[in-house]
Amino acid sequence: MRSFLITVFAAFLVLSGNLPGMAAAPEHAGIVKSLAGEVAIERNNAPLKAEANMKILKGDHIRTGKNGKVGMIFEDDTVVSVGPNSRIVIEDFLFQPSEKRLSFITRIVQGTVSYLSGQIAKIAPAVVRIETPHATVGLRGTHVLVKVD
Amino acid sequence: MSDRLPLSLLVILMLVVGGCAGGTMVVLTPDTEGKTGAITVSNQAGSVDIASPNQGTEVRSSTAAPPPPAAVSRETITALFSDALSIQPKAPVHYLLYFEKDLVLTPDSARLLPEILAAIKERSSTDISVVGHTDTVGSREYNMTLSVRRAGSVRDLLVRQGVDPDHIRTTSHGKENPLIKTADNVNEPRNRRVEVVVR
Repeated sequence: MRSFLITVFAAFLVLSGNLPGMAAAPEHAGIVKSLAGEVAIERNNAPLKAEANMKILKGDHIRTGKNGKVGMIFEDDTVVSVGPNSRIVIEDFLFQPSEKRLSFITRIVQGTVSYLSGQIAKIAPAVVRIETPHATVGLRGTHVLVKVD
Repeated sequence: MSDRLPLSLLVILMLVVGGCAGGTMVVLTPDTEGKTGAITVSNQAGSVDIASPNQGTEVRSSTAAPPPPAAVSRETITALFSDALSIQPKAPVHYLLYFEKDLVLTPDSARLLPEILAAIKERSSTDISVVGHTDTVGSREYNMTLSVRRAGSVRDLLVRQGVDPDHIRTTSHGKENPLIKTADNVNEPRNRRVEVVVR
């Protein structure tokens, strides 16, 4: 009976599409880890006041006011921190290493950003880039500072 | 000290003037472990590779090629990026806990628990992942169940030490994501593991 239940449970996992990558369907790209001053997250054109531990989704715009700054941690360990008067957009984020489905595109519209790359840049550097109105930065791992005005 | 003041004023003036012109400045710096990677800055007019620490380029527009890399001083980096750097969170940490068999941690892995708890505390972490894995001995179903139980047992250990269960996400991969690729039905201690990520 017990092994039957285990089999049913495992079959459920398989059928619900959670095998092999149960961890591989993250509903969020990252979290707000640290912040100070005025920080807003714009989602579907509606601004939300950012708070610590708030989830960040693909498509979110992150905006800081003149005293605002914010630090974020993404699911692949990328650490992004943003200074005052800045706006960045998480254009694409996909981290499913076991299925080799990986992408991380950050757009910096304005401001100052510190970007410490994570696992995606190690596994598949070609899919990681930072876009600005003037140029595109491709990363093969490490720490980059970007200012856009 | 006094003879450095005009220099820093000059730097700020240059930044203000530079700022008005618009553009993108990119600086490659060493990471927290002191390692420097490599970047490529490109647009429709050209492309430049940067692979040395504290080198940067300043792109004026999307139609002007990125200039060759030039050294960026510590003072400039501080003046421009101290706000962004001051709020940079500690990078996440990963721990691998190995199992003798079933749900019994190896003694070395059991000794890691205080370090994991310290990392959670240090980061005030509310985002902890616990991911269970097995080796390839046995069926897919058997191993999926075992990996679920392994992740659950590590979660329970953390919760017993005071970690909020709402801050822990457990997931399980069965034998599908081995650390060491093996044939099926191979006893591989390094694959019998739970990974803990503290963000």
